[in-house]
Amino acid sequence: MAQVFPYTYYSCPCVESSSTKPNAVQSAPQEAAPFLEDEEENTFDPRSPRANFSLYPIEHLLYCTDCHQIRCPRCMVEEVVCWYCPNCLFEVPSSTVRSDGNRCTRNCYNCPICTSILSISSLEKPTEGLTPNDAASDAAKAPGGPYFLSCPFCQWSSLEIGIQFEKHFNLTSQLQKIIRGDTHRLGSVTDLASPRGEEMEGEIQGRASVASVEDTAPLPIQGDTETLFTNLYNFYRAQLSELSDANPYSLSSDYSFASPSSITRLMNLYGSGGRTKKDRPKPIREAAEFSEGQKVSNPLSEKENIDRIRSVGWEGTASVEQRLQQCREDVGFVDELRPLATLLRTKKSKRCKICRQILSRPESKVSTNRYKIKLLALNNIPKITMRSLNAQPAQHPSFPMQATAPGSDEASTLKPLVPTHFLLTITNPLFDSIKVTLATPSTTPGCVKSKVTILCPQFDVGANTDVWDEALSSATDRSSKRQSQMLSAGPDGGSLTGIQAEAGKVWERGRNWTSIVVEVAPGSLPDSIGHVTLGDDAQGDGGAALDEDEDVLEIPIFVRLEYETEAGGDDGGAAHARKEDAGKEKREEAFWAVLGVGRIAG
Amino acid sequence: MSRPSAARKAPKGEYIETDSGNKVWRKANISGAPNITLGGRTVIREDVHLRGDLHRLSTTKEDGSKSSSSHSISIGRCSVVAAGCVIKPPCRVSRGVLTYYPMKIGDNVFIGPNSTIQSASISSHVHIGEHCVLQPFSMVRENVKILPHTIVPANMVIPSNSVVGGRPARIIGEVGEGWGAAGGASAAGGAGTGGESWVEGGDLRELVRSIR
Repeated sequence: MAQVFPYTYYSCPCVESSSTKPNAVQSAPQEAAPFLEDEEENTFDPRSPRANFSLYPIEHLLYCTDCHQIRCPRCMVEEVVCWYCPNCLFEVPSSTVRSDGNRCTRNCYNCPICTSILSISSLEKPTEGLTPNDAASDAAKAPGGPYFLSCPFCQWSSLEIGIQFEKHFNLTSQLQKIIRGDTHRLGSVTDLASPRGEEMEGEIQGRASVASVEDTAPLPIQGDTETLFTNLYNFYRAQLSELSDANPYSLSSDYSFASPSSITRLMNLYGSGGRTKKDRPKPIREAAEFSEGQKVSNPLSEKENIDRIRSVGWEGTASVEQRLQQCREDVGFVDELRPLATLLRTKKSKRCKICRQILSRPESKVSTNRYKIKLLALNNIPKITMRSLNAQPAQHPSFPMQATAPGSDEASTLKPLVPTHFLLTITNPLFDSIKVTLATPSTTPGCVKSKVTILCPQFDVGANTDVWDEALSSATDRSSKRQSQMLSAGPDGGSLTGIQAEAGKVWERGRNWTSIVVEVAPGSLPDSIGHVTLGDDAQGDGGAALDEDEDVLEIPIFVRLEYETEAGGDDGGAAHARKEDAGKEKREEAFWAVLGVGRIAG
Repeated sequence: MSRPSAARKAPKGEYIETDSGNKVWRKANISGAPNITLGGRTVIREDVHLRGDLHRLSTTKEDGSKSSSSHSISIGRCSVVAAGCVIKPPCRVSRGVLTYYPMKIGDNVFIGPNSTIQSASISSHVHIGEHCVLQPFSMVRENVKILPHTIVPANMVIPSNSVVGGRPARIIGEVGEGWGAAGGASAAGGAGTGGESWVEGGDLRELVRSIR
């Protein structure tokens, strides 16, 4: 997916506390350490590998109202509210998930080739010469079996692997039965599949011959994965129970050292005279035979595989993705792929990792989208948007009205070494007016050094009051004159003489937003100097010298807010909030954000 | 300073504006208009094909009751169908007859340019990128983002709050909790701001208003 410019990513403070002071979180989780580093003039580098894990668009961030901090997916704890199948949207109780695994046990299957949803169709021919009246008759109402699964996207069908069903419901148990029978003798499937087309017959015979090769080969017993798993599982269970018989305090069901049984065991081991005179327990051994779940790799089957690759060719082998999606590990060929039961999805509630406050909690019903609790960062920290001052993009980046030809996106392409003005708008979602201080390193980090100047780094943003306040009061601070001048100057911005951006002055101001001008002089790409080539060619050349996306101009910006608010009575943010007068509280917040402006042309 | 959209360059009167505020491009290809419902403040851009003529044929049952509504496409409020889209009700052979099924598109849905929609239903607050194909009987639930150039296979159900992409479409992520929240840029204040007040999946009323 191509990146849409401009974008703003917010850096969660958790990245700094975990990168420079790994112990800070563990030792004093209540203290907000990140701001200390900022005072040491460590600027945020959006290109550092670590930054990847802290930069999020604002709609993915939550805000802990106790800690007064942004919370990103890394510093939240998730709890599953409910499980559901994304296809049939049925909720699956968690007990079923625990016993049957996280797959849909109804009739939802994904194509093993292309992962799209399979649909169930009947093999029976539709009745001839149907008129609507005929269609109403009983015979036509429910097409009879046998049924098969088919993929509407890649035209794969379960007949290709010789699977069809007698009933169109309860596919899971039918499929399980077929697969169980399939592992040793294919006869059952062929019996089941008697009324099928001639080409299918040939297919099956082909497969049967493969199966007969399997049967005749002097292989050790190879069970299917499930038998192997149950064998191994039982074997390990037996081993563990033997062990716990030997030592009543040892591993019974939980392995964690924090459990009381483990602690008593440790106390016994190291305590004075607590040592039991029992024999040392037998060491746990590994499975040694098939009944214990051992699987022996078979050189003969390797040779057979090679022969099969020769015959079926590249198309007949399964790709890595297809093999990874299968639940069995010994799949190598396309005709061994089985339909996949759809993986379940979850609804999750999220908690703050530090104070355990619930940050978001959806309603537990699958069908609703409402949230009981939702503490959005959007409603608590100002929104930063950026756009070019002169060149208006032809259309909104995420709401294109007309199809754009590739490469026509000149609005986000920056000319190197030409100072360009950008409008930075800060929108305040809070009900108190805020005082904003912006800071940015004068040259951007990375190997393409661009100069960035914030013309007005300190300003106020009005409170998010009632919308009608602004509409009713005529004394808004909006510089409409400037606006009209802008429009008269034309979209190309050729004659912007009268409205030069002044340093230290706010560009435009509204009810709860303020715009300022940022001057950016993009650095030149190292390779493009001396080359007189077309933009695309130069970018291709530069790509060799530069890392991927090194030509993207990203401006790290440090945002600090100060505001006074009603004392909430919570002491969670005591580090930042100090009590002023009765009822009023001064609060301070700071975070890094990254503004993606565009690509620098070569 | 609202963003001059592409529409502004066009002379006035490119749209037919209905009483409920729907803006339909004059030259949009709309067939079977009686079978199409627009919920109000919905925008249909140029070169959009709305195939309202493809509706279920009225069948009279033996007891004489007419069991059909000739309704084919209904689009909710504040939805935007960008240029070059084809919206065609899904069809399949049912009881031996090729039957078209009505299609429902919810509120605040954005459909990017040159997409082909044959879904059974698209719920509200859905953002569909450009050049997408939604094959017959796919269902898109609320708060879904479909990335550009995605092909949603037939019969696929896209659950709420997911991001899908790819050919065929797979669920590749979740939209954040803040999907559709404007974050303080409220409707009336946003009209004159430097930044637009509409966001993906949010209330598209302002976007519709800005289209002239």
